[in-house]
Formats: sequence, structure tokens, C-alpha cells
Amino acid sequence: MAKGFDIDHLAKLARLQLSAEEKTLYSNQLNQVLTYFETLARADLPPVADVAQVVEESALREDIPSQPLGSEAVTKIAPAARDGQISVPRVVDDES
Amino acid sequence: MSESTWEIVIGLEVHVQLRTRTKVFASVPWGFGEEPNEQVDPVVLGLPGTLPVVNRAAVEQAILFGLVVDATIPERCAWDRKNYFYPDNPKNYQLTQKDFPVTLGGQVEIELPGPSRNVMGEHKSIRLHHAHLEEDVGKLSHSGSGSLVDYNRAGVPLLEIVTEPDLRSATEAAAFLNALVTMLTQAGVADCDMEKGQLRCDANVSVRRLGDTQLGTRTETKNLNSISGVRDCIQYEAARQIRELEEGRKITQETRGWNAVNARGYVLRDKEDAHDYRYFPDPDIPTLKISRATVERLQKLVPERPFHRQRRYMEKLGLPYTSASVLIADKALADWFEAAVMAYPKNPSGIANWVVNDLLRDLSVVTTAVDSFSETTPIKVSLADCRIKPAQLAGLVKITDEGVISKQQAKEVFAEMFRTGQEAGDIVNAKGLRQNSDAGELEKIIQEVIADPAVAKSIAEYRAGNEKAINALKGPIMKRTQGKANPAMIDQLLRKHLG
Amino acid sequence: MDKSQFLVWLMTNPDMSDALHLLSATEIAQRLQAGTLTSRALVDALLARYHALNKKVGAFTYLAEPDVIAQAEASDLRRKQGKALGPLDGIPVAIKDNIAVKGQPLTCSSKMLAKLISPYDAHVIEALRAAGAIIYGRLNMDEFAMGSSTENSALQKTYNPWDLARIPGGSSGGSAAALAAGLVPLALGSDTGGSIRQPASHCGVVGLKPTYGLISRYGLVAFASSLDQIGPMARSIDDCELLLNALATPDARDMTCFDKEQRTSLPPVAVNQLRIGIPRGILDKGVGQEVAAATRAAIDFYRSQGATIVEVDLPSSDLAVPTYYVVATAEASSNLARYDGVRYGHRSAQATTPVEMMTLSRSEGFGPEVKRRILLGTFVLSAGYADAYYVRALRARSKILSEHLAALEKVDVILTPTVPTPAFKAGEKISDPLQLYLEDIFTIPANLAGLPALSVPCGKSQHLPVGFHLVGAPLSEKKLFAASRVFEAAHSYRHQQAPL
Repeated sequence: MAKGFDIDHLAKLARLQLSAEEKTLYSNQLNQVLTYFETLARADLPPVADVAQVVEESALREDIPSQPLGSEAVTKIAPAARDGQISVPRVVDDES
Repeated sequence: MSESTWEIVIGLEVHVQLRTRTKVFASVPWGFGEEPNEQVDPVVLGLPGTLPVVNRAAVEQAILFGLVVDATIPERCAWDRKNYFYPDNPKNYQLTQKDFPVTLGGQVEIELPGPSRNVMGEHKSIRLHHAHLEEDVGKLSHSGSGSLVDYNRAGVPLLEIVTEPDLRSATEAAAFLNALVTMLTQAGVADCDMEKGQLRCDANVSVRRLGDTQLGTRTETKNLNSISGVRDCIQYEAARQIRELEEGRKITQETRGWNAVNARGYVLRDKEDAHDYRYFPDPDIPTLKISRATVERLQKLVPERPFHRQRRYMEKLGLPYTSASVLIADKALADWFEAAVMAYPKNPSGIANWVVNDLLRDLSVVTTAVDSFSETTPIKVSLADCRIKPAQLAGLVKITDEGVISKQQAKEVFAEMFRTGQEAGDIVNAKGLRQNSDAGELEKIIQEVIADPAVAKSIAEYRAGNEKAINALKGPIMKRTQGKANPAMIDQLLRKHLG
Repeated sequence: MDKSQFLVWLMTNPDMSDALHLLSATEIAQRLQAGTLTSRALVDALLARYHALNKKVGAFTYLAEPDVIAQAEASDLRRKQGKALGPLDGIPVAIKDNIAVKGQPLTCSSKMLAKLISPYDAHVIEALRAAGAIIYGRLNMDEFAMGSSTENSALQKTYNPWDLARIPGGSSGGSAAALAAGLVPLALGSDTGGSIRQPASHCGVVGLKPTYGLISRYGLVAFASSLDQIGPMARSIDDCELLLNALATPDARDMTCFDKEQRTSLPPVAVNQLRIGIPRGILDKGVGQEVAAATRAAIDFYRSQGATIVEVDLPSSDLAVPTYYVVATAEASSNLARYDGVRYGHRSAQATTPVEMMTLSRSEGFGPEVKRRILLGTFVLSAGYADAYYVRALRARSKILSEHLAALEKVDVILTPTVPTPAFKAGEKISDPLQLYLEDIFTIPANLAGLPALSVPCGKSQHLPVGFHLVGAPLSEKKLFAASRVFEAAHSYRHQQAPL
């Protein structure tokens, strides 16, 4: 089974900044866990997973508007807001 | 550069906001022009503990679209999470359909520009790969050192329509978008107002040497928001790729942006930086079974496809290409036209003329173009309010055909009908507009007019062989009869008297 | 004190107000109904106990006394007017801090959400309010429900009332500790891999993880959506069932929640008709001696009552823990992506770009176990690895489900210990995630298969409570309750008090 993940890449994908100590610690712990997961790689499994849950159209929501929260409630819980909007540091095109 | 030896291959991904009252996974309303963050609830905001619930209307609009384009509606569809961090994406994952979209396949018939405005161009069928139902993201605006986030748009239902790489030019891509918009709006699935961002497009472009069977490396340009933008971007990108290849370089698979202001594309990120979206089935939305009963019910709502209607108008009703094309671009107008034809089936072309010329002209006076995307005149709203009803126009055409009033008089009657909504017959009676075909009375008037020295010069010219000079006499005659005279009869009698 | 001694004690104690905190919800309901107790008096007694003991136990992280008193008085008024809303009217229910209550904190015991006040009520809170129950304080937990000891709380420590040097279990450790300490008669927990049942076992109380879909998750902060269920916790089977009945109502805001037609529960079975399945060799693998003995005693008890005991085979049991950790962390990595400091929650003051802001906010706001699981979940979904881990885990999950359903065709319930060993000492396993993950070895399969599972106190390992674990077919909650009620009635465990 594939192992030896790139902790820096994972941290970037997950938007986490890790210290050198954390990187070592998590790498070791995750490797240990992944080793344990090897039972999964060896197991004889069905070719496809059954669909977990299926619902009929009766589970769909009717297209009837409800009351919005209101921008005041939105900005009240926001860490920073201005003019009814949530403010963040400047976003550069496709900086993601 | 030798473009003639290159083939351009284009596939489009078109994002359309569906016409629903509430968002796709939350029950708050949405619409253009609201104050920021006023169309937001705990679900839209992705507050901890909230869950999506799929909007029935969004699913049904998507299915209806599928039926309009002859797609397959699979028995099940499901949603996946596309994971990426961005401030406009409230949950930092987007709910979309990766493996089990709501529609599969289908095609859109397009019409390419003809050699002239009056001549129909080539028709082509563009295959669709699938269409899937997903959620829109919020909007960012930038000011100084910061950005502001408004989540009103977040969660608006989006149908992403993905074509096969069947398009071969920027013109074809534009024609495809026009046809698609017509079908979407005519089915009531979407409004496609590009000014409001209701339709956005990603263009996948590659080039290959004519005759090659392998596709070239493609690039994807994101977020094009007008037909002209799509056209310009494809032309730019194809030219760029051809130049790169002719100069011996390779095309890199990359994601690009388009600057509409200076009409240039630019690299957003290359393949190395490609996102790892970590798709997986959304555990909050179970797989949805679509009943065949629903599909059958929606099938009944599928309107006649525009180009089917065009063929029927031209072949069965004998309409010229130009009239037929104008009519099919607007379903309400075409329906209106057909109702009039139903009331008076003898002269569809005559009715079409009135509709396409007079009715549209008078309606367009009171409407302004709001729809910059579709290249048709938007008249839907005012047509509904139009005082003339189809049967009334049919009545006008009928009495004109029967010679009760002249064509000249008919124009006047039409104007009155448009203003008041009265029946043509009533206006004719009230105004005493009945066409005068009494030869005796008319002959008397003609004799008086000929005797007038003011027209002696014209008479002389006519007699000298200038056919057109006779027209100068018709005005005064028409004036004396208060426009009631039958023009054909005036002409005939004048010639007789002038010998 | 065994059961008979307790009854003698009860009868010789004329002033019950001293012992209001010992009453079961069922008994409280009877007294409120009879007019011999008011909700206000009950709440006053519980608040007094809260002031005396919460520091010691650390179960509650928040309690709005004026609000609680107002709710109690409103209940008493309703009752006086003959408008009582049902058996729960006037009875306090404490809420795990990952279930949204409008106007109250929703911290999930995380620094990330330490300041968040929920602007809405969870479905279960609406249901409890409709039943007249008093929404009573918020309970400590492992951060975002990730953990088995409540040591992962960023807010405070919670101690096992039976031995304050030990953990109460987790993640619903606050819920279990509050019940065991007599701080509240009923509590809500949530269970993703054992988070209700494991602390229930460690604290000597009853905890049910209902059939997946029985209770709406609307308002439950998601850890792993396909595994999470809210469940009732109490000191007796009757109380647990009473609370479940109030919670298990349809809710269109959770598409995975059963609608009215899908709620037909399986009928209970008399104990002499009961078929109990014991997974082959279950007590041989890493199960503590005294836990094994208590489990065997429970099995013997059922046999003596005429139940049929059969061995069942669940060959994929070994896959349960890895499967669970792949599925749960994958979903968690996505569920917890929304905590980025943009819309609510902790925002780092250090950042100058959005990416930096998100990254630093998350790094500062999440504790080590949450980070560990997010990293693991991100990995198992990432390009090149998803097929080997995530997709295989889904297939294994499918297999585990079908094996359980097959076994539950032959037996009514599957009985195992709830946890292999009793509550461990604080700090003992915190540095060894894998060891900690194995705490859940018996409880995880019910989550993977969406089956109802109940932990019932069944003995002691030295001075520490131990529970057995019953798993049934979907919607067999009544069977589980009926089967365990027989055991409870014949044993004194429910009347035992933690030595506080």
C-alpha cells in the first residue's frame, strides 16, 4: 500500500502550519497508523461499495423561501466586517 | 501563421444559474441586487451543524433541461464534495456531482451564420457530455488592502453543462451558446442574463494539424462572462497555441484567465499547481432516486426545439428564413404568432410580417435590451402586456386580405389597435375607414384632380413616357378621399383618364 | 450498597429533597405529575450540586442559571395550568457542547469556536423544548468529538466521578461524568465511533447510539457525517428510552434522517425468546480480565433467564478500526475545512493574506488530535492515495455491514464488552493515538453499519464501572432496551453512586 506521504504537501492542502517538531511527531504517528491500516490493503473486499443510502424524491425540499438570517446577524459573528460584508485580507486573483 | 492547416478543438463548460426561488441546498431566497449578506442563513453560511437539503425545483429544472436536449436522465444521481479553500466558498468544499450527474449525453443543434443575413447558414449538432447540479460561491470585492465577502450568491443553483469537444471555431462556440440560451430560456429553466452573471463559461481549447486524430494538449480558460468574451478568448487562445507550436514549443496543460479589457489571456496556474480537490461522496445528501413518473411529467413541459420550429415555419407555413428566425428566438413571440395563425390560417406569412416588423418595432419602443447575452430582442414582458391579442391581429390581416381596407389603412388600424386593444373591425367602422371602391365617386374626384392646373406638369411628363410621374397625382386623390380609396383602383382609373 | 439495601435506604429517608439528584427522570416525572415536586425545586437542588461539584468533576463548560430557572418556572406554570407538555416537562437535559442551542456557546471544546454563540437551535433542542424539557447547560467533550478521554478538550479537564485521577472516557465525557456525579438526570451525547457508549461504560451509566437516521443531525456539529448520531444518556434504561422518544422525530432538514414512514421499530423480545450472539473469540483479544469476567457473568445471567446464546462470526471485525479511521478522518478533514477564520470562529491576528489567515487561524485554533486527524483524512483522500485508502475503506465498510446484517438475521442482539479495559489514568494514552484508537474496537462496527448499540453497566473492574454492549438490527432500539432492562432489574448497578 502506498505510504511515505509528504507532510508538507498535506499540511498545505489542509491549510495547517506545522512546526518542525509537529512535522516529525505527526509523520511518525501517521506512519504508525498507516502501518496498522495495512490490514485493509490485504483484505479480500467486494469489488464496489454498496450505495450507502438512497432516498426518494419525497426527501427533496419544496422551493418555498424561508427567512434569511439578516446581514446584521452574519456580521455579528464574523471576526471582522464592514458595510454588511465580511472583511478579509486582500484576495489576489485565484490565490488558492 | 497558417491557420488553414490547423484544426481548433473546443469544449465548453457552461455554468447556468437555474430559475428557482430558493437556493439549491438552503431555503433562503436569492436574486440579483439585494444588499450584501441579506440572502444568507445558517446553511448558506456553513455554520457548524447545518446540513444541505436539495431543492426539488432545482432538480426538476435540471431534468427538464436534460429532456430539452434529449439527454438521458439516469435513475439515480448523487452529490460529491469538491474540497478547496477560498474565502468565497463558505464550507471550503463545493457540493457538486462528479460521478452521478443528473443528466447524461444529449445534444444541442446550432446554426452557423449564413452567407448573408437573409440566407440560412449550416446547422450542426453539438454533443453534450453531461450536466450536473452544483452550488454557486459568494462574491468578493476588493478595496485597498482588504477584500469584502458577500455570500448572497453562495448556494445559488448552478447547472454545469459540459460539451464534448465538438466545436471547431469561435463562431461555432458563439452559435452554440446562442442556441443553448434560447433552449434554456424557452424551457423556463434559466434566464441566462449575463449582465447579472447568470451564465458563465469555461473554454477548453486545443489545436491539432488537420487530419490528426489525436487531440492536442488543451488549456482551460475560466470564467468567461459574455458571448463576445468566449469568441475573443477562443480566437486568442487558438492563435497563441498555433504560434507556440509553429515556433517549435509545446503547449502546457494549464488553467488560464481572460482579461476582457485588453482582450488577452493569462496563466492562472499550471498543471504542477493543479488543485487536488479530494472529491468524495457527500455523506449529508443520500443518493437521489429519480422516478420515471417525474421524468414523464417533465417531458410534457418540454417546448418545441427552436430549430424544429424554424423548419416547420419555413417548410409548412412558407415563412421566409428571416421571419422564421426572428420568431423562433422568442418562444412567447412564436407562440403568439401561432395563436394568430390558428385564428386565420390562410396567410401565415402576412401575419409573420406584422409580428416581425410592426409588432416587434412597437414593442421595442417600450422595452430596452436587458439581455446582452442572447442576441435577440427581449420583449417577453411587454408582449404579455401587449394590448393586441393574436386573434385581433389575425382579424386585421383577414380584412386586409379581403380588400376591406387598404394596406395603408391597415397600418393606421394597427397603430390604433396597439394603442387601445380594440378589434380591427370596430376601428374601421368607428373611423369610417372602409376602403372606397365606388368607381363612380372616385372617377369624379379624379376628374377634379386632373383638372387642377397644379398637376398639369406631372400629367405632361406622364404622357411623355415618365411612368413615375403618375404617382404625383395619387397623393391629392388619396387626400380627397381621406385615404379611403383603393389604391389599385386609383391607379387603374387614372391611367384610363390620362389615356 | 446492593439493590435491597438501596431500597431500605430509600424507605428510611423521609426527606427526599436531599437526594433529588439521585432520582431518575422517570421518578422525577412521576413526582412532578403527582405534584410532590416542582421543577424549580429540582433545578435548585441540581444547581446547588453543580456549585458544589462541577469544579471537581469538570463536566459542564457553561450553565446559564437565570435561563434554567426561568425554564423551570415556565414548566411549573404550565403544569399548574394543566398544560404540561409530556413526561419530560420540567426535567433538565444537559447538552454536549457540539449540539447547537440558540444564544448559547457552541464551542465543541475547541479554541476555534470558543467565542461562537449559536444563532439557531438543533432539531433535538427544538424537540426537547416542545416536550417541555429544560435545556440545561453545556457539557465538555473531546475537541470536535475526536477522542476517547475528553482530554482533547481545549476548555477544561473532566474527571471520572468514580476515580478523579482517571478519564471519564470520550468524546461525550462531560455527559457521562455529569450523570455519574448526579449533576443532571439526562444528557445528550453524540457518537461517531463509540463517543456515547465508551464514556457511559467508563462512568457506569447507560448510553445509546441510535440507528443511523433515527435522530436528525441538524444542529450537531459534524465530525464524520456518515457515522455521527446524537444519542440519549441516562442512569437507567427507562430514562434512556424516555429521552430517545423525545429526540427521535422526523426532520426534513436532515436528508439522512428517516421520515415518518421509515420509523417502524422492531418489537421487543421476551428474554426467554432472546437470541444473543457472541462474536467468536471476542474475549480473547486484549480484553481485561475483570472486563471479560463481567461480560461472562452477563452472558451467564441471560442464559439463566432462558435466552439462547450462540456464537456468531464477524470475520471482518479486524478491518473495523482501520476502516473507521479512514472514513471518519476523510469526512472530518472536509467537515472541518469550514473553520478558517473567515465567517466565524478564531481568526489569527497575524495574517496579511487570506491563505495565511486561514492557515494560521486553523493552526492556532485546532488542537493536536484534530490536526492529526485532519492530516490523516486529507492524506487518505488525496490524489494517488484515495483508491488505496478511502475507496477500499468504503468497500470494507460495505462488507462489515453485510456481515453484521447476516449475523443479526440469526440473533436478536450481539453482545460484547463496551470497552476492552476500564477507564485509564489521565495522561496515560494521550501520546499514543493508535492505542487510544483501539479503545473503540467494540463500538466502531455499529457506527460503520449504522446499527443501534447500547452500553449498560454490568459490573466493576476493581472500583471502576464496566459496561456490556448490545448491537441490534436497524430500528431494534426497543429490543435492546427490553433485553437490558431485564439485566438492570436483576442487578444493583444503576443505584450505585460514584464516591464523590
